[in-house]
Amino acid sequence: MVFLFPMLIFLIILYGTLVWTIYVSFSDWKTITPNYQLVGFKWYQFIVAQPRFWVDVQNNLKWLILGVFPTVILAIFLAYLLELSPFPVVESYVRTLILYPVAMSFIVTGTIWSWMYEPNRGVFNTLLREIGINSQLRFTTDPQNATYWLILIFIWQYLGFAVIITQSSFRTSELQEMIEAATVDGAGKLRILFSIVIPNIRSGLMVLVSLLLISTLKVFDIVYIVTFGGPGIQTDVLALNMWITTFQQRLFSAGAGLGVIIFLMAFILIIPYTVYALRKWFE
Amino acid sequence: MKKLSILMLVVMLAGAVLTACQPAPATPEKIIETVIVEKPGETIVQVVTPTPAPKPKKLEIFHWWTAPGEREAADAMFAALKAKHPDIEVVENPVPGGGGVSHRVVLQSRIIAGIPPDTFQTLGGAELKNYVDSGALQPLDDLWKELDYANVIPGPLAKAVTVDGHPYVVPLNMHIQNILYYNLKLFEELGLSAPTKFDELLAACEAIKAAKPDMVCLGLGSKEKWGDAFVFDSILLEEGGPEYYVKLFKGEIDVANDPVFRASLEKFQKLIPYINSDHAGLTWDQSVALVGSEKAAMVIMGTWAIGAFVKGSNWQPGVDFGAVTFPQVPERILLFHPDCYGLATNAPNPEETLNWLRVVASPELQIPTDVTQGGLFARTDIAPTEFPDPIRQELQTYVSQNPGKLILDQHGSILPATAQPIYWDIISAFLAQPDVEKAITETANMMVTYGVKEASAWYQWP
Repeated sequence: MVFLFPMLIFLIILYGTLVWTIYVSFSDWKTITPNYQLVGFKWYQFIVAQPRFWVDVQNNLKWLILGVFPTVILAIFLAYLLELSPFPVVESYVRTLILYPVAMSFIVTGTIWSWMYEPNRGVFNTLLREIGINSQLRFTTDPQNATYWLILIFIWQYLGFAVIITQSSFRTSELQEMIEAATVDGAGKLRILFSIVIPNIRSGLMVLVSLLLISTLKVFDIVYIVTFGGPGIQTDVLALNMWITTFQQRLFSAGAGLGVIIFLMAFILIIPYTVYALRKWFE
Repeated sequence: MKKLSILMLVVMLAGAVLTACQPAPATPEKIIETVIVEKPGETIVQVVTPTPAPKPKKLEIFHWWTAPGEREAADAMFAALKAKHPDIEVVENPVPGGGGVSHRVVLQSRIIAGIPPDTFQTLGGAELKNYVDSGALQPLDDLWKELDYANVIPGPLAKAVTVDGHPYVVPLNMHIQNILYYNLKLFEELGLSAPTKFDELLAACEAIKAAKPDMVCLGLGSKEKWGDAFVFDSILLEEGGPEYYVKLFKGEIDVANDPVFRASLEKFQKLIPYINSDHAGLTWDQSVALVGSEKAAMVIMGTWAIGAFVKGSNWQPGVDFGAVTFPQVPERILLFHPDCYGLATNAPNPEETLNWLRVVASPELQIPTDVTQGGLFARTDIAPTEFPDPIRQELQTYVSQNPGKLILDQHGSILPATAQPIYWDIISAFLAQPDVEKAITETANMMVTYGVKEASAWYQWP
């Protein structure tokens, strides 16, 4: 009983601030001084009337789809290749190497990648020019495709993490037995991957996908560091919009409203999925 | 058994809490001497205790001058304070990160929580207005009268920090936004003179492109978004003149049907081919470095770029690079913003803060600080020759002789703080994908959505 107190305090702080944010989003707080007078959906109407909000929603959807699925597919292949590796020592080194990016902060990787993306002096275009290709790629300064280049940074950073999760779900004894049986039966490596491995690691993938969905939905730091939403507002996302609305425009209620919208999106998209995945995982 | 142990735990806890709540025994006052005064018939015992030690004089300051170059300027400020008031202990809460972005986040949280520092750095214009509207600053009418400050600084500077007739802060400098820096040796080589209007800029760009196809004409860094608005401001100022410029940002122009705004956007579009295509990925100092490394010929940037040229590229003013106010047609207007300090509402140490503000207003602080940090002096009675570089000497002389030619710029802006980031986004988006109609519609909508006309009505110019 006594030991539940810390837990209770934790819950009060966690859900208290959540309820508080929802309350602020319905109030009329628009300078530094708080104004808690309730005004209903005024600030939500304000948010959806901004063209910027819809650019954000589109970009967040791009992140959700392109940030998650390529990562998972690449992770399955890489994990399988590592499993097949005939030299266990090399495999463990390679795994550490792949896992390394996820240990770094987005601030660090974002800064490094923005140097590499530099159209005139960056590593990528310099290398391309060295091998004789006159690259016109403008990476994150290209208004059309900037978001995709940002998502590539995310994939690079999370790939190692995804590989580890996938690989650990290979290591169940039932799966290993099935693979052995299939090998004895003369099945090829690719056949084993598609017919045996992938169907049997579904629950591990569920956890992976939901974790990646959460990470892409709340993406902020990569965008803040590499493009700050630019060129124009082409790479803006909901979380960055929330930050600008709250701390630059000082529209605290609108900022809280954006926070609630992100929360609801996460709730609708991710919570049922996680519950389902976890239930499968523990079956 | 289990229940019993829980009960015992609760009792012990309650006991501990009760003991903790008891008032601590009062420490007896230290007795220096006991004097017994004898009067006929009665004996009075007087106890003499030491006079309480004076409260240490503290001053808590929030500022964002923490980057190299700015740190030295902050040290110069505090050295000036120390020289006049050696007994004041300065407690700094510096927040790393340029432009004061993270500084503002922490400061706002403290003001909201009701525990403000004594004084904090703020720009004039919309940012100051926001603090005043929130009741975070106290009016300084008496201090200004005592210092006669309104008469030693330019009129437009005083108006930029005065809301409803009350001055709220003491400005210590002025940064000038609309300066065109150019590669002096290149201009001499090509026989070009420094452009002072848009057509001359375009002509210079064409000449540079013909002579040096690999060189970009106008360097730009727009990652922080305001760089684009700087360039567009100079076009607006030439196209519409100073009155128009002020009216536009005060929301008094019908942007949707305004020929000047449209013409300015069209001119801006003509300039795009001469701007480096990777501008969206560069910060302002990187754009200055483009000129310093001879990848670009010119850059439009504020007075703070002088330090970036000298320290970043080892270029000397008047030798390697030149600077002109841009534009100078129809007249030479300087767009500016000041750094200021005020007295916070509920400041814990108001006396020390007022003493600090007296120092902020003095030449003893402004000379070392402004020379180091990069702006002009707020006071017009300081000799321009205090500046080491010819650029600021000339600008300061011009300000002293023409104090009326100053208008608030993009940073300490006329536009309210709610609209300003949106305006930067519109101009930045226009530069990325030029669409005149879209930019006009969005600007017109912005003026309505954020009630610019009402929110900026406080700003008076000239």
